Amino acid sequence: MQAMQAWVAHRIGFWPIITLLVFLTLIALLLMPVVNIIGMSLSSKDPNSSVIANYVEFFSRRFYYQTLINSVQVSVAATFFAVLFGVPAAYFATRYEIFGRSFVRAAVVLTFVSPPFIGSYSWVVLFGRSGIVTQTLADIGINLPSIYGAPGIVLVFTLQFFPFVFLMVSSGLKSIDQSVEDAARNLGSSELRTFFTVLLPLLIPSISAGALLVFVAAFTDIGTPIIIGERFRVLPVLVFGEFVNEFGGRPILASTLAVLLLTVTTSALLLQRWYAARHAYGTSAIRPLLVMEQTPLKRILASVYVLLLVGLALLPVINIVISSFLKANGPLLIAEFTMENYERVWRTIGTPLSNTLYYTTVATAMCAVVGTAVGYIIVRRPGRLGGWLDGVVMFSYAVPGIVLAVGLVVTYNEPPLILTGTSAILILAFFIRRLPFSVRSSVSMLQQLSRDTEDASINLGAGPGRTFLRITVPLLSMAILSGVLLTWSNTIRELSATLILQSGNTVTLSIEIFNEVVNGNFGIASALGTVLILLTFLPLVILFAFLGKKEEALV
Amino acid sequence: MASTSVHIESVTKQFGDFTAVNKVDISIAKGEFFTLLGSSGCGKTTLLRIVAGFMQQSSGRILFGDKPIDNVPAHKRNTGMVFQNYAIFPHLTVVDNIAYGLRARGLPSAQVDERVRKMLAMMRLEHLGHRRPRELSGGQQQRVVLARAIVIEPDVLLMDEPLSNLDTEMRIHLRSEIRTLQRQIGVTTIYVTHDQEEALMMSDRVAVMSAGHVEQIGSPADIFYRPRTRFVASFIGESNFMPAEAVADGVYAVPGGGRFNVPAARAAELGRKAEIAFRSHDITVGAPVAGGWTATVVDAQFYGATTRLVLDLGDGKTVQAASTGHAGSVPPPVGTRVGLALPPDAFWIFPEKR
Repeated sequence: MQAMQAWVAHRIGFWPIITLLVFLTLIALLLMPVVNIIGMSLSSKDPNSSVIANYVEFFSRRFYYQTLINSVQVSVAATFFAVLFGVPAAYFATRYEIFGRSFVRAAVVLTFVSPPFIGSYSWVVLFGRSGIVTQTLADIGINLPSIYGAPGIVLVFTLQFFPFVFLMVSSGLKSIDQSVEDAARNLGSSELRTFFTVLLPLLIPSISAGALLVFVAAFTDIGTPIIIGERFRVLPVLVFGEFVNEFGGRPILASTLAVLLLTVTTSALLLQRWYAARHAYGTSAIRPLLVMEQTPLKRILASVYVLLLVGLALLPVINIVISSFLKANGPLLIAEFTMENYERVWRTIGTPLSNTLYYTTVATAMCAVVGTAVGYIIVRRPGRLGGWLDGVVMFSYAVPGIVLAVGLVVTYNEPPLILTGTSAILILAFFIRRLPFSVRSSVSMLQQLSRDTEDASINLGAGPGRTFLRITVPLLSMAILSGVLLTWSNTIRELSATLILQSGNTVTLSIEIFNEVVNGNFGIASALGTVLILLTFLPLVILFAFLGKKEEALV
Repeated sequence: MASTSVHIESVTKQFGDFTAVNKVDISIAKGEFFTLLGSSGCGKTTLLRIVAGFMQQSSGRILFGDKPIDNVPAHKRNTGMVFQNYAIFPHLTVVDNIAYGLRARGLPSAQVDERVRKMLAMMRLEHLGHRRPRELSGGQQQRVVLARAIVIEPDVLLMDEPLSNLDTEMRIHLRSEIRTLQRQIGVTTIYVTHDQEEALMMSDRVAVMSAGHVEQIGSPADIFYRPRTRFVASFIGESNFMPAEAVADGVYAVPGGGRFNVPAARAAELGRKAEIAFRSHDITVGAPVAGGWTATVVDAQFYGATTRLVLDLGDGKTVQAASTGHAGSVPPPVGTRVGLALPPDAFWIFPEKR
């Protein structure tokens, strides 16, 4: 009997069981949905049609394929501008003694975490047809170009997502040693020349990583194009359209569109990985780049540039907070202070707020537990299974929320397991969506933790499970906590996947805001938006103020 | 203490094509202080980790006493290990660090307290019991992890370069402390180091390892005075090597005219060409003797307590002689012709180096 137990314990240890459970979870929530949409996109109601009939249809009808072209256009443009404006801003903010440095840091974070759809409707409020600025300028005879359509989308995406580039490049600059720059200057290279010939090449991995994040975020966003795009139709909106009227209306079409989205994002990810790997020099700074002493003129010019950029990006957030206290008549705001919006919100916020908090909390907790365990398996127990796990988790980076949502609907809308319309499907979507980020952060923290500490515990007679709970988890508690705060902030404002997965009962704050915006109730939307921004920002305040994290932790 | 003998039988560890440990056979007696000595990458740490159970050998087996332990998981092996970088639990106090293994064994808390208290006293750590590791010096941390490994009364104590992160003074102090402690409690100990001084000074027996295999096992004096392979002769102490050629039965000549007598059986084994090695401090430098072994001084390096002469034997071959100086002694100036002499058994002869 004892021998039997020993045999079982030896064969089926603590970690193999955990690994298996994680695997089953990933298969059920990630691989099956993706495989199902691919399968669905190759299927047809007509048994005689070819397997690629749906794709043939997509690429032969302008109504469809134009959305793909549009999506690529606005995403590439936004990526280009985000890099163009973000790289110099990061360089100035890191290297120059610019004025208002802490304001810049706070503004970048605030811009970064404020939901993009809030930004876009805020731009409409300011610069739309009946916008405050548009009207004011029209009164004195200046007519602004229209903000609707592609230019508006690119503007919003650029300002909303340039922090990806800014933060990536800032952290990239910190990994370059001062001596590299000193050597270039010593050899007679000017600052500008040094930037282009030495720093920029070393920053390529960071810049391309930031650019990828901008591209994918822009390419898969639903809210902004709906609010500001008007007749300019993009691919994600087409997907969403399949879910507006009837739940899971045309799963075959939705799946085909989702596969196209996934193909583009996966290709972008692979392209970036390949490009960055070719330009990775594995630099690490013993003495990171210092702040340079500047002439007053350069200092002022750099400050003006950075402050203008972050100021412009922050404008929508400021606008929302202010408008939430203004009297509103539909989409028109009147310059009169009132708490009316909050009073009205107070009566209706109950369900969406409690839903949001509930889903976010549960998903965050799942991410923390599973993410830490998966990170542990990848770092500490590399084997064939660990390698597979690493691969699957990396793949889930490339699966946009909207694709995952379509996959979950397609997979779980019929027996044996019907999840569509439930809270569970939203929680699971949030969980899988953020899992790769939790895994990545636990991988990096485990890599910094000497393995000997855990070996010492094993050696002293504590089994693998006890060692994990008594040694690994306590040592990582601070890192896990910062992971939790980040996951919370990122999950609570999710819109794209939620739009597809929610039903009347599972409405969240971001859905509620979206609906109010679409219905033109800007006052209420602003009040709700302010609440959401607060909920997003507060954990980050804790993160930066008490856990000593830097903004770079966000990306 | 319930200590045990350890038998490592033909243990091999492969990592892909790379053989980290190659058919190692070692038998360690109960209570012995046994050292694995070698430079980095020689497989000594891998072997230690296999004994601890952190790795599984590719072939061969390991026994504690007469009990094979190959299928015993690491946390059931009852080995106490001390790690190079301490591996102290930074979130636990000194007391909780030491109690960790006892609690993992489910001992009643009264017993845990009692044994921890005794251990603190033994290691002179009483006043630090409730400190956190970051408040301790490196030497104190190392004493805590040593206490933590000993308190569980391990069958075998395993130490992986435990002193290499300490400064010289603390290292010298702790190595005698560890040696005394080990004798006192009599626990079988396997000690891994690359520091030959440490190995010679602390061990009952030493295994010199190179490229995954054992070159020689013996007492420190054996290893130092009777190296059995060229590698051991070059690795331990400061040795000189010279090409040697048989000029008569059992007589080999080296550059500079030196003649060495070798037992006939050994000479027959070696053949005409061989290599002769000796320690720098065994050679004496004096006035040249006609027909004797001579050399020219090319450099005199003054190190304080010792002076090293670099001597040219001709044929482009140089050797070093180390001598202990005293006040007023003056080394021969560069360019002087000197005579060399070695005690009759202070050299070793090896097959010709290929």
